[in-house]
Amino acid sequence: MEPRTHERQGQGLHGLVGKRTQAPMSRAPMSTNWSYRVPLRLLFAIPVIGAVLVAIAGGLFRAGVQWVGTPPPSWLGAAVSHHAFLMIGVFMGTVIGIERAVAVRHVAAYTAPVGSGMAGMSLLGGHLEAALWLAAAGSVAFVLVNIVVVIRQRAPHTALLLVAALAWAAASLLHLAGWHTGAVIPLWFCLLVLTIAAERLEMTRLMRRRKGAAALLYSLVATLMASAVATGFWPIAGGIAYGAALAGLAVWLLVGDIARRTVRAQGLSRYMALCLLSGYLWLLLAGLAWSAMSAGWIAFRDTALHALALGFVFSMMLGHAPVILPAIARVKVLFSWVFYVPLALLHLSLAWRLFAGQFHAQALATGAIGNALALALFAATMVGGALAWRIRFSSPTASSRHGPPSH
Amino acid sequence: MSLTVAPPYPYHGPEELENLILGALRKVVDPEVALNIVDVGLVYGVFVSAERLHAQITMTSVACPVTDVILEDVCTALESVVPESLAIDVELVWEPPWSPGRMSDKAKAFMGW
Repeated sequence: MEPRTHERQGQGLHGLVGKRTQAPMSRAPMSTNWSYRVPLRLLFAIPVIGAVLVAIAGGLFRAGVQWVGTPPPSWLGAAVSHHAFLMIGVFMGTVIGIERAVAVRHVAAYTAPVGSGMAGMSLLGGHLEAALWLAAAGSVAFVLVNIVVVIRQRAPHTALLLVAALAWAAASLLHLAGWHTGAVIPLWFCLLVLTIAAERLEMTRLMRRRKGAAALLYSLVATLMASAVATGFWPIAGGIAYGAALAGLAVWLLVGDIARRTVRAQGLSRYMALCLLSGYLWLLLAGLAWSAMSAGWIAFRDTALHALALGFVFSMMLGHAPVILPAIARVKVLFSWVFYVPLALLHLSLAWRLFAGQFHAQALATGAIGNALALALFAATMVGGALAWRIRFSSPTASSRHGPPSH
Repeated sequence: MSLTVAPPYPYHGPEELENLILGALRKVVDPEVALNIVDVGLVYGVFVSAERLHAQITMTSVACPVTDVILEDVCTALESVVPESLAIDVELVWEPPWSPGRMSDKAKAFMGW
């Protein structure tokens, strides 16, 4: 049994379904140790926000958006050269590391996001070698954290989380050593894709699973991992198989995910489901494009990389942020229809970028600007949602329960 | 006239609180699955003594980052229905592990069983 308990508190911070209470402190002692954990987590905001902003700037430059006005800052070179490292190895790796540390509930688990977060700051400070070492150390620490998770719960989805962590460690070590670097980006994406797949696999337990679905998933994961590594040796064959495995995973998720059910609910649940389902369609496209790119159609490179990163991964992030932020930062967010605006902008600008961008370089650049605006708009929406919650529930007399309604 | 429905978890305590507690717990929704924690089968038991309410809650995964939020929601929901004199103790338990068999008929129907 978990020894820790949650007891009545003076004024608790709750998630999307709780309500603010003003019970006197004397009713029960405060049993949680958020007092130090929450500020500790908020410290990660500096490297996380810094990495994503710089990575976006680098991505925009790579997409053809010119720096205007002042001379380009010194960090832009690193942002352009190490866009994927900053976006996946630093930003997303740190976010996933924090998320897992919160679940594991042990301060040592924060070693992983500390390593990846500091890697980003080192890179932008001009210390590439130190950044690579820190990223490698952080990813290896993340493997250890996930071993703890597997020990605590021996289940297919926790094993898959460990596989995702191993992919990240392999990518970081290859990146550091400079060996078979063609495998680095596929392995980085394995961290993201398999982490999401593991979380969705856990959720599929709520549905009646089709016969052979588990075996099919395991074979797809094995193919994905093997082909990611193989890409470092045989880029064409490895890349084609990698794309096929991504597309297969997309079909598996589209068929078996509970999002097909929860999309019939309302409010936040429906929004999350739409983020998931639209993300799976982008994952399918990314898989097909990845195979085509590896077979020689290099024009599909942007589609392969960004249908996956923006269409799939960021859709997941947009969907889950309203739930994860209250868990990490203890900031409650009021969900509303406004959340659909950045989501729609992300998908529309990505479609413009990937389809029109095939024919016009300017469309690629404007699409990339739209992608960046969508992420900025989403950040503003989250801030607005947090403020809306404070305004609505700041009154001690406010007692209406608010949250995502059940179906 | 009040309709008494037995909660789908072990309950020991005053009869007058039984339905109030069940109703409060049904208001705690996991947005990921669009179902409340009672229908998902996450409530393992509620035990009320003269001084304390002890609730046992599980999660479907140890890697769930929103565990603390859900436990807090449970605490808040219970606070709204039980007397102020009662201390509330919400415990996270992992044994026995959650399985789909714990889902209510309503939850199973929603998930297409």
